[in-house]
Amino acid sequence: MEHSSLAGRIFRGIALALVLVFFMFPIVWIFLMSFQTNEQILRIPPRLVFEPTLGNYAALISGQLRTTAGNLEISFVHNLWNSFALSSAAVVLALLLGVPAAYAFARFKFKLGETIAFTLLSFRFAPPLLVLLPLSLYYQDIGLNDTYFGIVWVYQLIALPLILWIVRGYFEDISPDIEHAYRLAGHSWREAFTRIAVPLAGPGIAAAGLLSFIFCWNNFVFALILASADKQPVTVGALAFVTASGIQYGQIAAAIVLSVTPTLLLALYAQRYLVEGLSLGAVKG
Amino acid sequence: MSILQLLHTSPLTGRKARPRGRWLPYLLSLPALLVCIAILVPFVTAAAYSLQRYRLNLPYLRGFIGVDNYIDFLSDPAFWNTLRISLVYTALTVILELLLGLGIALLLRRPTRFHNAVSIVLLLPLMTAPAIAALMWKLMTNPGFGILSYLVSLFGVTDFKWASDPSSALFTVVLVDIWVYTPFIMILLLAGLRSLPRQPFEAAALDGVPASFVFFRITLPMLAPYIITASLFRLLDSIQQFDIIYAMTQGGPGDRLMVFQVQAYLEFFQYTNVGRSAALLMILWLITNILSNIFIRNWLRLRARAHGQA
Amino acid sequence: MSRLELKSVSKAFGTTLPADRLSLAVEPGEIVAVFGPSGSGKTVLLRMIAGMFEPDEGEILIGGRSMVGAPPERRGIGMAFQNFALFPHMSARQNIASGLRGKAAEVAARVQAISRLLKIEHVLGHMPRELSNGQKQRTALARALIGSPDVLLLDDPLRNVDAKLRYEMRLELPNLLRRGSSSVLYVTQDYREAMAIADRIAVLIDGHLEQVAPPEDIYARPASVAVARLFGDPSINLVEVTPLAEHGALSAAISGARVHLGPAGAEPPTAACWLGVRPEDLMISLSAADDAVPARILAVTPIHEKAVLLLRLADGTEWLAALPPDAPYTASDASVFVRFTPEAALLFDRASGRRIELSHRRQAA
Repeated sequence: MEHSSLAGRIFRGIALALVLVFFMFPIVWIFLMSFQTNEQILRIPPRLVFEPTLGNYAALISGQLRTTAGNLEISFVHNLWNSFALSSAAVVLALLLGVPAAYAFARFKFKLGETIAFTLLSFRFAPPLLVLLPLSLYYQDIGLNDTYFGIVWVYQLIALPLILWIVRGYFEDISPDIEHAYRLAGHSWREAFTRIAVPLAGPGIAAAGLLSFIFCWNNFVFALILASADKQPVTVGALAFVTASGIQYGQIAAAIVLSVTPTLLLALYAQRYLVEGLSLGAVKG
Repeated sequence: MSILQLLHTSPLTGRKARPRGRWLPYLLSLPALLVCIAILVPFVTAAAYSLQRYRLNLPYLRGFIGVDNYIDFLSDPAFWNTLRISLVYTALTVILELLLGLGIALLLRRPTRFHNAVSIVLLLPLMTAPAIAALMWKLMTNPGFGILSYLVSLFGVTDFKWASDPSSALFTVVLVDIWVYTPFIMILLLAGLRSLPRQPFEAAALDGVPASFVFFRITLPMLAPYIITASLFRLLDSIQQFDIIYAMTQGGPGDRLMVFQVQAYLEFFQYTNVGRSAALLMILWLITNILSNIFIRNWLRLRARAHGQA
Repeated sequence: MSRLELKSVSKAFGTTLPADRLSLAVEPGEIVAVFGPSGSGKTVLLRMIAGMFEPDEGEILIGGRSMVGAPPERRGIGMAFQNFALFPHMSARQNIASGLRGKAAEVAARVQAISRLLKIEHVLGHMPRELSNGQKQRTALARALIGSPDVLLLDDPLRNVDAKLRYEMRLELPNLLRRGSSSVLYVTQDYREAMAIADRIAVLIDGHLEQVAPPEDIYARPASVAVARLFGDPSINLVEVTPLAEHGALSAAISGARVHLGPAGAEPPTAACWLGVRPEDLMISLSAADDAVPARILAVTPIHEKAVLLLRLADGTEWLAALPPDAPYTASDASVFVRFTPEAALLFDRASGRRIELSHRRQAA
């Protein structure tokens, strides 16, 4: 079934090369841009060989951005910190809430569990604004608007379904006998859960945590609606950057690189589990 | 079956004799339940808003108006524009990503080290925040210095305005969507392809069946459940696309890319018309439900057929 | 040291009834084997005792204390699982010590002692995945035994180990299990294992206890046809007969020959019966005799140091006979005569399957 004719091989080689160029070029190009001065970027035709500068990153880190209209004070590092804090807190909370629930769904067959799991999954496909817009009004009423806690709570909509569905599968793969053996050795269900089930589902929990971290980090619309400037993560912050007039392009590129680097590294690290996480287990069906 | 037996087999008897641990699963899933409620309450609220005249700037006019918000849409060209552009955007992205994703998955089908490395590298666009991806493409399509503008100018296309020109805006955002989401389809279909049983292919190779026949009569039908799953996920995401379009053009130029969620966002924050915004989102929700139902029904049918053939 | 007692324990899953009013008592220091074909409810029984789920009805008592509602960890039970159920992320040492509390030195000493007994001292530092099946099984046993539990449950512990090891363990286990004078319930699907290890055997068929008795009793005096069929390899020969009581003697017609079954007694069984004879109780001779059944040898196979003869009687019934390997009747297709003593005959009621006590055996018992 494999075409091993020369023409076929050449065709496949060219096709693969085109695919790689299309999907990798933007990342590579923006990466290169982030080391260029404005003059280098604006040069036509563009050059691949240039003298790299760290000026863009230095400006971002110092928070003093050079624009056509003078220096502008934008603390992009603070956006990075927000992204990190919001995503981490959301994942930690989702793990604390989600891992016990996933365990309950896996070990006990009960109706409420199925209902919860299904509701969360179906809202994974509902328009996020449908929940967010009324929620933003509620948040204003109860004072959660523009608070870290309010945003972290909303991030549960992203992280919790992911963790529930992935971790549940891992718990289901552990033989109940192993937990029974531990309980017969004189341990409560809580000890069996924390010392047997959780360590054995560890890789799954880690993968689900990493994936939810990536998805929280990449989220845009939640913070766009619920956060003001000093609570905004990089996704929203970087956009504000572009709309603020006159910021040097190299600095935008550097901001983009800083925004995507953490998730891309995590993705490479956790790539083994990505398929499962991305499809929420639907592929198994 | 006697009454005694019924009593015996009913789950109730089992539970009665088992007072301990009965509450445990409920206790454990309580937090998840709270999150569920935290979703359902705003959802019901949104449904209620959609039946109200509710403008944030005119709070004293607020009141129940039945389905008037929905009826207004029927005669509103902006709504039809939104519906049309959402469907076109969805159809274009899903079809193109499906074809491209399937093609790439077929290229990477054999699990060699090189192929695996390529498939991992291709995950990177998918792991890029869509809003940030839009910014990347914005930099590359800048009419002044963008590398893509420069490249097309080499082919004699000068003054190509990408997302800022009504005639090419849709093309540009679809391109970004393809860049971000094709890997998703590729990954699922690759997993599907590699899990297919070998025998039908080996038999076909032995019998000298032509490659096109193998592809259309064996590969595609057996892959159908995966294709349907991948398309469903993409379809539901695509019709709700917000990040890429908002970050790229905020629905413009004009109302050229005014898809549902962008329109609803602007109705809410720019025109402060909560009722209309909620009604728009309810319609979007309805569409996603209808689409997913159609898909799931077909998925079950196709899966049964694929299993029958495998 | 506590007695384990089941009082009319029942459990239903849907429409199946894996435990149907089971009553059984195991004394401290006693080993009771629960034996039955797969799906007969052995594992369900163990799991109810271990508290993994509760019976629908009935009571489980350990040391006189009702265990209804007691969580597994408070039942004083040690258990070895068929699939070992070792904790994969803990070393053999940690596995064995998992149930012990107390001073580290004390724990270490006890682990050392039990490991020496089970000959796994040299692998204590290994993780379960680094252990052979035999070592896994010994580790699992050590884990179950170390706490000297009131009740020791063993779920077919020799199922997943190789034949040589199974043979060795069959010799070792009775001593190991009696060490702590626990009440031991030993589940197995192998009747020889049950007979080698247990003081008493509880035969479980379709969730129902058919017979609870010492091994030799079960073999010699099975309560029913079903029990008789489960014990013995080659399995018991069964033939339909209607016994005849004449002149104070009981006899039956088998393939045209009249076979003597001993004195008729006061109430001779004359309804339709199954007559069962163990293959090793058959005697073969070349010369005809009064109560010998003519047969032809179809095949001869050596099994377990015995020569097993497949015989066909004149009416087409096929019987198996197990003889010492040096028996002269090893030629296929030879015509022979088959006899058995009245003491070897087992008679079962056709309708109920229950064994009918013959008068001469009653005296013997």
